[in-house]
Amino acid sequence: MTGDTLFQQYPVVPHIWDEMKNSESIRQQYHTIHEAISKLNLHDLQQKDKLASELFMSQGITFTVYSDNEGIERIFPFDIIPRIITAVEWQHIETGIKQRLKALNLFLKDIYNGQQIIKDNIIPAALIATCPHFTREIFGIQVPYDIYVHIAGIDLIRGDDGTFYILEDNLRTPSGVSYMLENREVTKRIFPDLLANSNVRMINNYPLLLHDNLVSLSPRQTENPVVVLLTPGVFNSAYFEHTFLARQMGIQLVEGRDLLVDNQKVYMKTTAGLSQVDVIYRRVDDEFLDPLVFRPDSALGVPGLMSAYRKGNVAIVNALGNGVADDKAVYAYVPDMIKYYLNEEPILSNVPTYQMKNEDERQHVFDHMEKMVVKETNQSGGYGMVMGNSATKEALQEAKKMILANPRNFIAQPIIQLSTVPCLLDGKLQPRHVDLRPYALCGPNGIEIVPGGLTRVA
Amino acid sequence: MLSRIADSLFWLHRYMERADGMLRLLKTSYILSFDKVQASGITWEPALKIFTTLSPEEIEVLKQNDTAVLQYILTDTKNLNSLKVIVTKARENARGVQDQITKEVWEQVNHLYHLINHHALAEKLSGPDAIVIIDTLINSSDQFLGITDSTMPRGQGWNYMNLGKFVERCLLTVEFTNVFFKKVNHDFTNEQDILYWRSLLLALSGYELHLKNSSNLNHNCNVAQQVLFDKNFPRSLYYSLDRAQKYLRDITESNPVEGISPLSRAFGRLHSSVKFSDLALVAETGLEPFLKQVRKELNEFSAMLGQIYFSYA
Repeated sequence: MTGDTLFQQYPVVPHIWDEMKNSESIRQQYHTIHEAISKLNLHDLQQKDKLASELFMSQGITFTVYSDNEGIERIFPFDIIPRIITAVEWQHIETGIKQRLKALNLFLKDIYNGQQIIKDNIIPAALIATCPHFTREIFGIQVPYDIYVHIAGIDLIRGDDGTFYILEDNLRTPSGVSYMLENREVTKRIFPDLLANSNVRMINNYPLLLHDNLVSLSPRQTENPVVVLLTPGVFNSAYFEHTFLARQMGIQLVEGRDLLVDNQKVYMKTTAGLSQVDVIYRRVDDEFLDPLVFRPDSALGVPGLMSAYRKGNVAIVNALGNGVADDKAVYAYVPDMIKYYLNEEPILSNVPTYQMKNEDERQHVFDHMEKMVVKETNQSGGYGMVMGNSATKEALQEAKKMILANPRNFIAQPIIQLSTVPCLLDGKLQPRHVDLRPYALCGPNGIEIVPGGLTRVA
Repeated sequence: MLSRIADSLFWLHRYMERADGMLRLLKTSYILSFDKVQASGITWEPALKIFTTLSPEEIEVLKQNDTAVLQYILTDTKNLNSLKVIVTKARENARGVQDQITKEVWEQVNHLYHLINHHALAEKLSGPDAIVIIDTLINSSDQFLGITDSTMPRGQGWNYMNLGKFVERCLLTVEFTNVFFKKVNHDFTNEQDILYWRSLLLALSGYELHLKNSSNLNHNCNVAQQVLFDKNFPRSLYYSLDRAQKYLRDITESNPVEGISPLSRAFGRLHSSVKFSDLALVAETGLEPFLKQVRKELNEFSAMLGQIYFSYA
């Protein structure tokens, strides 16, 4: 089968935005890919697919599935057909994310200090007070440059009319950036000409930008601040990413047991004795960071870390307590935050969100359950979700019961049909629903977003 | 350098060196197993004695079956010292220090790991492919050594890696020598056929050197001289300890922490007991006590090194 036939046979689902094809023809931005792949046949494509798998395997870009006490290495499924985002689309996404992050950083500063936004009745105090991720322990801590969110992995989705919506902000420890970078490298290997001829913008300076930001946060004024990446260890599913980033930035990859706190300063244990640490890029969740303050049974953290943080002797990235802005009920207020802090209209829209503790909205949702997706407010990444169009009657009843029992804990959103991209599956091009996660970096010099993102199949 | 990293690099190389020694001995033994009339009467025994914890009776049973031996030593995870287990441990160590070794080194360890974990490997060991597999594995181990040498920056990490490598190498030579000399009651005077010694020397990649350097008389003496004291033979005790001494000195000079003088003294004593000895002296104490003493002191040294540089828990 030739590549051209593959394209001919590609079905477009009605009422869903396809990234490659509108109802009649292939979109302008996909012409180059179409041309290149038309010259190949199915066998060539499958060879490329195989090559990609081998590249991931040999580099250890894998995650481990445990069964019968034996770890089995799996690679992440990777599709060889690139996803195209045009410069115009990107411009829109970029300015939208910058605006949003600016407001979110101001919000976090406000909520952990003066709480003006509550006093001005923009956000109800009860909403914040009941948020499990609102962290009282960090109230009043001054963070360098007032930056709380240094790294955000904002999830965008695209509706049937082609509009991008923000789905989640992911302001805590977003992962996946290494896959964005490595996928690009693998694409270069399997379609060398295609990338070179298409004016694709570069993303591989991400680690350098991040490193610059991390160094600039050092509380000690020294020439070479000690920056470390704190990982939960080799059993963490994102461990590959931790090593990847540490290597790309030339910083130490440490585990909790490598660090200790003495006299409110953080040190790492080296063969030459103790060495002071200035900046910690942590990939450990808040609640595991310091057993003296948060979960006492955590072996992943460093006892006393919070005391050093409070004292300003160490910078932690991302800041603690960001979860309050990731709360799905608080998410609904981000457009209001943008108006309140920046006096601007939001550039990128939220998905419309109904607060379940608000009776009118709740009734509306209950009346249209089959068109709604119900989500727990403190979950992310698809956990704690009920899809109205696919759940059974019993499941919907169950969901209603749970909502009534604790309305603050739930929100509902109208189901948006995610856009599709072509994927090479079983020897055919098939449409699959996707999202888009670009990675934004906030530093003292502003917000930068490398022009790319991780496209994940829903 | 983080203590945890130093620990992992040291053990990465100990495991890789052990894998290397194991593969070389296996290949020699495997090829020997084709000669049905064996002058020496030994085939799998040394490999099973050195690399497994089986009892003499179990070895007696297992050694009759070539495939079973290969599978037990290479791919059986019930054997806690099988190649699969060792390589997995090496890879775990490498995985934990991925940012401290070069991408090339990591990929090579990872490659070997995937080779030994190939689902059809155990099955193939029963067929004519066995030798191909052993060769592929040896090749991969050789590549690891070469890639490490050509890509790893010299410095702290390099020193710990090499210290691990030469400590393990010295221990392996002690074990190999002990097992092969046990058959001749650790006697230097008793003349044993060169065919017997050939398996030991091949397993240590020292057969050609032996032919070049030694007369055709008194093989027991010559072999002992080579594996213990030949300073140009890269697997002799003398050479391994000499190299270890260099890397230990580099480590202690750049990390002058508390407790290094007893460490240096302990290693110095061990080093001189080989460096300033000769066959006549060894014959006086007996080869077996001599080898056992070296092994004991090496293990003590390794534990002490861990306490001083690696204790981070």
